[in-house]
Amino acid sequence: MPFLNWTRRGLLMAATAALTLPVLAPGAQAQTPPGVLIVGQIAEPKSLDPAADTAVNDFRILVNLYEGLTRYKSGTLEVEPALAESWTISDDGTEYTFKLRPGVTFHDGTPLNAEAVKFNFDRMLDEAHPYHDTGPFPLAFFFGSVDKTEVVDDMTVKFTLSAPYAPFLSNLAYPTGLIVSPEAVKKDGKDFGRAPVGTGPFKFVEWKSNERVVIDKYEDYWGDKAGLQAVVFRPITDANTRVAEMLAGGIDMMVEVPPTSIGEFRTDAYQIFEEAGPHVWFLILNAKDGPFADKKVRQAANYAINKSAIVNDVLEGTATVAAGPTPPAFGWAYNDSLEPYPYDPEKARALLKEAGAEGAKLTFFVTEGGSGMLDPIPMGTAIQADLEAVGFDVEIQTYEWNTFLGEVNPGLSGKADMAEMAWMTNDPDTLPYLALRTEAWPDKGGFNSGYYSNPEVDKLLDAARTETDQAKRAKLYQQMQTIVQDDAPWVFVANWKQNAVATDRVENFELQPSFLLELKDVTKN
Amino acid sequence: MTRFLKLLFRNRLAGIGAVVMGLILALVILTPVLPLQDPYATDLGARFKGALQDGHILGTDHLGRDQLSRLLWGTQLSLLVGLASAFAAALIGSTIGVIAGYFGGRTDNLIMRAVDMVMAFPYILLALAIVAALGPGLLNALIAVAAVNVPFFARNIRGIVVTLAGREFVDAARLAGMGHTRIILTEIVPNVLPVIVIAMSTTIGWMILETAGLSFLGLGSQPPQADLGSMLGEARAALITHPFTSVVPGVMIFLIVMSINLLGDGVRDALDPRLKSGALSRPLPVTTVGREGPIPAATDDLLAVQDLHTQFHAGSRIFRAVGGVDLAVRPGECLGIIGESGSGKSVTALSITRLVASPPGVITGGAVRFREADMIGASYEELRQIRGDKVAYIFQDPLSTLHPLYRIGDQLAEAIRVHHKVPKDELRKRAITLLKDVRIPNAESRVDNYPHEMSGGMRQRVGIAMALANEPDVIIADEPTTALDVTVQAQILALLNDLRREKGLAIVFITHDFGVVAQLCDRVAVMYAGRIVETGPTQAILDAPAHPYAKRLIACVPELGHGRRELAAIPGLPPAVDDLPPGCAFAPRCDKASASCCEGDVPLIGTPPRAVRCLYPEENV
Amino acid sequence: MGSYILKRLVSALPVLLGITVIVFLIMSLIPGDPATAILGSYATPDNVEKLNRDLGLDKPMVTRYFIWLGNMLTGDFGRSFSLNRPVIDEVLERFHATLILAGTSFVLCAVLGILAGTVSAARQYGAADKAITFVVLIGISIPSFFLGMMMILLFAVDLRWLPVSGMYAIYGGGDLPDLIWHLIMPATALAAVATGVVARLSRAAMLEVLRQDYIRTARAKGVPERRVIMGHALRAAMVSIIPVLGLQAGFVLSGAVYIEIVFQWPGIGRMLVDAILKRDLLLVQGGVVFVAACYVLFNIAVDVAQSLLDPRIKT
Repeated sequence: MPFLNWTRRGLLMAATAALTLPVLAPGAQAQTPPGVLIVGQIAEPKSLDPAADTAVNDFRILVNLYEGLTRYKSGTLEVEPALAESWTISDDGTEYTFKLRPGVTFHDGTPLNAEAVKFNFDRMLDEAHPYHDTGPFPLAFFFGSVDKTEVVDDMTVKFTLSAPYAPFLSNLAYPTGLIVSPEAVKKDGKDFGRAPVGTGPFKFVEWKSNERVVIDKYEDYWGDKAGLQAVVFRPITDANTRVAEMLAGGIDMMVEVPPTSIGEFRTDAYQIFEEAGPHVWFLILNAKDGPFADKKVRQAANYAINKSAIVNDVLEGTATVAAGPTPPAFGWAYNDSLEPYPYDPEKARALLKEAGAEGAKLTFFVTEGGSGMLDPIPMGTAIQADLEAVGFDVEIQTYEWNTFLGEVNPGLSGKADMAEMAWMTNDPDTLPYLALRTEAWPDKGGFNSGYYSNPEVDKLLDAARTETDQAKRAKLYQQMQTIVQDDAPWVFVANWKQNAVATDRVENFELQPSFLLELKDVTKN
Repeated sequence: MTRFLKLLFRNRLAGIGAVVMGLILALVILTPVLPLQDPYATDLGARFKGALQDGHILGTDHLGRDQLSRLLWGTQLSLLVGLASAFAAALIGSTIGVIAGYFGGRTDNLIMRAVDMVMAFPYILLALAIVAALGPGLLNALIAVAAVNVPFFARNIRGIVVTLAGREFVDAARLAGMGHTRIILTEIVPNVLPVIVIAMSTTIGWMILETAGLSFLGLGSQPPQADLGSMLGEARAALITHPFTSVVPGVMIFLIVMSINLLGDGVRDALDPRLKSGALSRPLPVTTVGREGPIPAATDDLLAVQDLHTQFHAGSRIFRAVGGVDLAVRPGECLGIIGESGSGKSVTALSITRLVASPPGVITGGAVRFREADMIGASYEELRQIRGDKVAYIFQDPLSTLHPLYRIGDQLAEAIRVHHKVPKDELRKRAITLLKDVRIPNAESRVDNYPHEMSGGMRQRVGIAMALANEPDVIIADEPTTALDVTVQAQILALLNDLRREKGLAIVFITHDFGVVAQLCDRVAVMYAGRIVETGPTQAILDAPAHPYAKRLIACVPELGHGRRELAAIPGLPPAVDDLPPGCAFAPRCDKASASCCEGDVPLIGTPPRAVRCLYPEENV
Repeated sequence: MGSYILKRLVSALPVLLGITVIVFLIMSLIPGDPATAILGSYATPDNVEKLNRDLGLDKPMVTRYFIWLGNMLTGDFGRSFSLNRPVIDEVLERFHATLILAGTSFVLCAVLGILAGTVSAARQYGAADKAITFVVLIGISIPSFFLGMMMILLFAVDLRWLPVSGMYAIYGGGDLPDLIWHLIMPATALAAVATGVVARLSRAAMLEVLRQDYIRTARAKGVPERRVIMGHALRAAMVSIIPVLGLQAGFVLSGAVYIEIVFQWPGIGRMLVDAILKRDLLLVQGGVVFVAACYVLFNIAVDVAQSLLDPRIKT
């Protein structure tokens, strides 16, 4: 029958086509070219305007395009001069005068001067500034203590603070303090974030939404020129796909490698980078109502949870066990005499018995993801299992990140007994000041969602904030850590070691404790 | 019930589906009592174990929990959620659909607009937004999945109810003063219920997929509990390093959905009454032939049907629709075949060019010879060249026999084109000429009409024109006038008669009406239960029918000008052809029948041109 | 025909208006506000309030709805705060990507589905029918995201035949072969379910049509069987296939969300999911209204196609 022949012929042709297709098609995985680094990012950047950004993901691009007045010394969280050559601080700690580096130009050719610096801070802070509408600037409060910015002379700029504020220099090194070209802002207005102009070692080339951001070497850079011709940042939101791309050779470098995948890269073809960062992953305990109002129960929770199992197994060694509220990455402010709560279920049971809280029912808020939250669901599940093993009865409620913040930030009272949380900060002041003081209870506008209150801690934190002598400040923070650890307002779980993987073709790369991705010295062959 | 199961398992795939589903259900029901490990017991030291390691039959997941145990509990959860959301969506959707369909008018309009709005949303986003608004959790995912499926049910059910609401029994209920609620509950719902149930059973699989999808996006079940979707979602983080962990829940979802689909198909088919009759099959281009016995020798007739046997095979039952028929026509002759419905006359006609639907039809014996060539044994291509070119058909119902989507001109042109190479504009001219030949007025404009734009009589003329398109030697007219009213019928008959004389073609004319035969046919063959019971010149039979059945048939014809004559209906029904009695098939209805009629085969005997198949004929022939 | 299309377009307006209300309401009901989403850990009540004021979210809901609607009528869809660019730019760019993916899948599912269904019906119970039925069954039973994941694992990571993700090669490429190269896996994974559904339906529709009297007529005319199947029967079957194709377009568009996530395709589905999670109100609203409008238009097109195909439908 003709029809039969016809169908058979058709099927045969289709099958042949399917088989020959891969042969005819272009080479699937052309090697990435030398001198061009392709970085797998975790998300599409929101904007490339440093004043408008909040995410580490965007910061990783920004620090290669822009510079601030100060920057973090490589490998530390201490500040060193950048666009400012030097600075002086008045004795009362309220006036900062910066001398700018001469001969620095923005990528659009305009010079860096005191006017430009003033423009940057006024744009962010002064609601009457003509370019304030290029915002919103969500992190402007980093410089909330700045009263005014003045041009002293062409290359000198002075900041006057409303009160002494020790973290100011460190905040200037934070990406929110990166300096943008005023002329470019005036030209592009709201769209500046998509056509960024700074003074950094790379200049912006193109941004194709959801495909790539390309930056090229800036030939007129004031310092040592960049080692790469170009960097391509590619947003790959799915961690799994990112790993697959890395394995398939589509990208040269990726950050935030999922713990379960890191083993794939332990071969000669790849380099794994790790660097402890100013990060702490903890459980907020509701110290106001419920079982955790009792310090013994809070301590019991700290003993009950097998943190090293979480860190080594769930997180596959991509984090270390946290001892207290301040991460060890703040070397100078960290109290290294603190020992983490050991895993001791027996002691936990005993404490529970003492407190008469055996079988206490706990509601546990868990998030599905979120910045710095690592693997919140498996971690929460493991924690739940540990707590149940010593006699708690834990019910998990998971929320998507924004809803989660909406639930947690206003305080846990009446809703939950514990919640996952993680912070990444640039100064030892930030987290305890915002999340452990009595004055930082949610109803007073802070993040102390567990209602921890210890007047001693309050006093130490207030003192540290206005102390400009780093050694004295360090002492105050260390005392605070000892008290807080004993009070156990949180369960201190982990300090994340950020990680990255690169192919063996990438050289001179280093991760920074600041979580920023400095690519100036990197080369690729 | 057993009959239903038998039908279900007749579809082998559905049987497989039932078995797999049964196994899964059994496992799920037994889950609480099976000696499984604690699905929530984490063992961080034993993560991502492969199958059969350390007493974990399906290995462990990213927290070292036993995969087998989690899989079974997860399956239970997924099935429950799938069922529940399918049920919820069906209930709400059907309610909306019934209300919209029953009340119609503005209510209907308003509701359906709302349904349109919801349907215009990409459903995943709607579900996502609902979950985002309600918070994550399996129950909320269930609500979201049910909600996005409501419009589909509403729309389908509404469509059915709209047709029901206009039916007589609903009108009757209204006239009887029943309230709306009562009419809906007692008259409408019972009628749409089967549809709802079938729709529901086929969407459960879909629901499970969708819930899995939401869970996959992290919006489903809350840890440590996990349905299959969230198992897959959680395992995905380690897809590249530990693919096995993803494969386990993935394969389970696949198995569940596949078995539900198979089962759903099976159930739907088993409930479809057409399956029982074997009518769900499509007919092959030519009737299957399975001839037993010798092939009769050729004759010199233009067209000869020789000892033709055609059967229908449905399941284990065999219907002998044509049981040894002999017919012949010469050029210019018109042969009538007459009989009640089911007598096998149409099957005989269709068997000539092997157009009997097959399956279930099979030609099991005899021959059909056109100019001596046997068409029963011919190849498809040989047959195709004869069909429409040498032997053409006119069918009964011109509305269903003309293609509804082609212009009649194109259908006429096609009839020519498939046999002869003719230029395009010439084809159109020919089509118009053909329409003129069958006395269609305004043929030039009519040629561009669609069948539904014409009256029944006009359509039948088109049917005739199509049969004439290639000036065939034989036209087989299968009750061409039955669907038409009497005046049109007379016109058509006159037309056929004219054409026969003008073009000298032979006609095989099939009818159940002796009146029609009398007007047109030279000879007539009377069929009963698949066999010819009497044959001879038309006038001779009309004047003196020999077979009691023929006599009864003739008695049924009202004669013009003779006033009202008693219409003696024939008592009883024709016999079922899968269970023919031995001897004369008409005996049970015949008042002259005696015991000998039912004993042996009754031969067709007589002096040519007449013959009769009766032991006690009314006339001797 | 022209007036019919016009009538359909006019009757779609209230539907679109309703959609704007629904999407606006849903987005207002979702807990968590954009400022919290932007500020993350720094979302103190003060900061949130100030940011919400900057974003114009401090006005009452009804006012905001009408401002939004009014702006949209003038073609201004507002600015996405999570992406810091005009909503319409992002939506168009993303929709373009989705159109390429979903469009390819749709064509694939329509062509393959109808072809498979037709062959299957024409060769009912034959080897081809059984093979097709089997493949189709697998297609409709596998979650598309699972299929996609497995394909990546096999074809991209293990065999390295095809690129893992994205729409274009990140360096070089950018031309049509490159696009097709990147399309193969996601389009196939996305088309799988829809192809199965279309194939099953086409088979059923063909079987139904092949039993009709006019098919017998065509055969009686001596029309070659290939023409009977691909012409007469398929054309009649299309009458019941086309509405299902319209419905499948919706499913393909929705299913694209998963595929876009798995394959990192820069499409609008993924954008909307992200936007919902980030509470980017204007982006979600603008995107959904745009997609819904396209879907409504597409359905009108389907109806028009249907009425062109079937002269019995009064227009």
